[in-house]
Amino acid sequence: MITFLLAASFVQAADSGGFDHLKHKGLFPSCTSCHAGAETAGAPLWPKESSCVDCHDGKIEKVVVWRPRTEARRTNLRFDHVQHRVAAKDKPAPCAACHTEAGEPRMAVRPPVVGRCLDCHGIRTAHLAAPDSACATCHLSLARAVTLTRGDVARFPAPPSHDDVRWLGREGHGAVARSALTTNCATCHAQEFCYQCHAGGTPPRAIAAFASDPRSTALAAHRAPASHGATFADRHAALAAAGTASCSSCHIRSDCLECHRSTAANAPGYHPSGFLSRHPAAAYARETSCNDCHSERSFCAACHQQSGLVATRGLRTGYHDGSRFFSAGHGGAARQSLESCVSCHTERDCLPCHSAVGGRRYNPHGPGFDAERLRRKNIQMCTVCHGGAVPGP
Amino acid sequence: MRRVVVVLLLAAAPLAAQDYRLRLDARFQSVSFRGVELDSILASAAVADSTGSLQTPDGFAVLCLPGEAYCTYFRPGPQRVGAPLVTMVGGSVWGFGVRGLSAHGTARLGADLSNDNAWPGTDPAVQLVEGYVQYAAERVTARAGRQILYTRLGTTGFDGANVTWRVPRQHINVAGYLGWGLARGVALPVTSPALNPLDDFQPQQRQIIAGLDADWTARLGEARLSYQREVDPRSDKFVSERVAVSGAVRPSAGWTVSGGAEYDMAAGWWGSADLSVGYATRTVTGLLEGRRYRPHFDLWTIWGAFSPVPYHSLRGSVTVRPSRPLQLHARGEVYRFDPAEVSAPLVSYVTDGWRAEVGATVEPRTGWIIDGGYSREFGPGAASVGGGASVTYTPTRHTRVTVYGHAHDRPLEFRYSESVLRVLGLDGGTDLNDRVRLSLGAMRYAEERRRPDAAEFDWTQWRLTAGVTLLFARGGDLENLPPAIRRMPGGRNAP
Repeated sequence: MITFLLAASFVQAADSGGFDHLKHKGLFPSCTSCHAGAETAGAPLWPKESSCVDCHDGKIEKVVVWRPRTEARRTNLRFDHVQHRVAAKDKPAPCAACHTEAGEPRMAVRPPVVGRCLDCHGIRTAHLAAPDSACATCHLSLARAVTLTRGDVARFPAPPSHDDVRWLGREGHGAVARSALTTNCATCHAQEFCYQCHAGGTPPRAIAAFASDPRSTALAAHRAPASHGATFADRHAALAAAGTASCSSCHIRSDCLECHRSTAANAPGYHPSGFLSRHPAAAYARETSCNDCHSERSFCAACHQQSGLVATRGLRTGYHDGSRFFSAGHGGAARQSLESCVSCHTERDCLPCHSAVGGRRYNPHGPGFDAERLRRKNIQMCTVCHGGAVPGP
Repeated sequence: MRRVVVVLLLAAAPLAAQDYRLRLDARFQSVSFRGVELDSILASAAVADSTGSLQTPDGFAVLCLPGEAYCTYFRPGPQRVGAPLVTMVGGSVWGFGVRGLSAHGTARLGADLSNDNAWPGTDPAVQLVEGYVQYAAERVTARAGRQILYTRLGTTGFDGANVTWRVPRQHINVAGYLGWGLARGVALPVTSPALNPLDDFQPQQRQIIAGLDADWTARLGEARLSYQREVDPRSDKFVSERVAVSGAVRPSAGWTVSGGAEYDMAAGWWGSADLSVGYATRTVTGLLEGRRYRPHFDLWTIWGAFSPVPYHSLRGSVTVRPSRPLQLHARGEVYRFDPAEVSAPLVSYVTDGWRAEVGATVEPRTGWIIDGGYSREFGPGAASVGGGASVTYTPTRHTRVTVYGHAHDRPLEFRYSESVLRVLGLDGGTDLNDRVRLSLGAMRYAEERRRPDAAEFDWTQWRLTAGVTLLFARGGDLENLPPAIRRMPGGRNAP
């Protein structure tokens, strides 16, 4: 249906070729005298070049240039004049019934008037508001409308049904797609259009029934669902955690990671404003896994170094002045928040006390430590403190 | 030379049909900060204040250890001014004449335009985040180049190959990858000097990384298994070896039960794990989750040998939309660390904590959004209490202005320095057209350090930001599409 208007505009621009039908109304009592193909199968639809020369010979009338159309018409109409006459059986419509507005003279020829098509076919709505079941009456599916260019597809107007806030939901386009995907939706869309949003691991099965046509991505499916208000980005966490199934019908994992990663310069708002100042509370007991996005070495330590928050001159400087004997009794706090320690301290800071070679031999190993396994997996780590005398078999 | 000419001629036709998408996001900030600086005085020069505590003659509290000739203290550090300009450039190219073949890349360009060189993350100036060639068919996707994978085991960056095989009818995906690894959380190899600002031990060679990822998805649920190992090629020993499982079950509409766990095969202990029950409808969204967190350390550091202990937590969140313009939300979490099994009689430390937040969002009329919230957090090491609010006005679809403000107190457990922060700011952005987006921001940032000595200082300043996004594209009108579309140019079946 949509392309009917589109095709009509092409016809108007190209088919009349500058020929003013109304001006010639007295010369041509019958439409088929020039457009025989509209009535007779195999006959040309357009008059010959010589038809004009009979009068426009430079003597009677000025010379005009007219060449009948040879290239295929860019349209998605399934209309054929002869077949339409056959189908209409005993009530074939005169040419003017489609090519003039109601009440206009016979030769006030226009491209097909959509409203009159709808009238005859009993559709009592505006063209684009026609029921979804009506599209295929006049239109080919996009995949079969091979003459349309990508630009033609891009200019398809959207029906008013698509403006409904519920259209993007299951009860909107989902319900229509399940019932009439290959007939009506297919007039404007194809698989690739759906994949613009249904990019997750398991697209709805209905899409598989669609034809494939890359031109369909000329239409952009860019509206967010009504549930995605302006602050949805701030509020989506719980929703996403509770029901990834609904998210994954439109989103893929990469969407999430556009923001949930350290390099998201294009989305700096992942952390709320002011987070830098209060990040210690979130970082000490990891509210989430910081190192999924941040490198402790380059991100944390480099910034702490700039702020003077690193142990550059030994551990007995009194930085942790909230606890007078912190250096002597830091073990518990360290085992709880070791990632935070690492953001200011190096391994070298710990070795003077914890090394078994030249240090004070304070054993740092605690619950869960499996010496034999770690020795087997990477003995080099053991040699940092134990040198060449790593205990064990 | 002749071969090159022939190849170019053969490629000419496909390249003529080449489509691309190039996105450039540049963001400039003018910020400054002021940390602390270690200093010392002769022990004999320290003086006692009215309470008997020692301090410098100009009023800074000092630490004097018995027998030490010098006492140490921290002064306010110098003002550091940063002017970072960070640009992300991302692009995709397809239409090489081979159906399903495309190339993708993302690079980060960073520079500090100030003389202080104060801003972290601007060295090296150019970082290739991703850059790979992809071939995607119905059952197979193959990638070669620098890639980042996101699995239950975290982010994994590597230079190598990744092949995913799909069984659509059974909804099964199996992926395997192999390559030279990058450091965790950054697009740099572990040997990069930028990863060693404190001059610590550093690996001499990049690790070899290999992994397997399999998932199954169905209407009622999904399951995933991830295995990954990293090996130091110099010693042929493990850097890490981990496995993770995760899954979700959707027993009925709106309900989801999901969970997962990680096991560190190198250390021999369980890592982080979680189990949650979620409920989501149009008006109510809720989540109740039990989780355990334990950090992971690679075996080329000694940190894992210090036996980091996990904590266990219970957390929940709920969002209610009693009417269309109003949304209320709340969340909370309590957690407790496992016993550290450490004898530390001289130091008491917190072993449990909690977090809570309540807030509301109101849309009084079209184009206006008012948002506010209050949060408190208390736990080992640090605490935080405060609230904030914002008003956003969207006069047109292409323009947005937000005014915001918040205040927070931030007491620390082991540092005698409570910082109070107050922020008032303005953010705005506009889409000049489908391909150009501008943003501007200004923030009044007031940080006050509350100490009873001269180290108390006020740090108030303005912070300015400006950004521009440019989109260059050919081959589709995808400018306003979600990121999924930018990453899948032309759709899966595009030629």
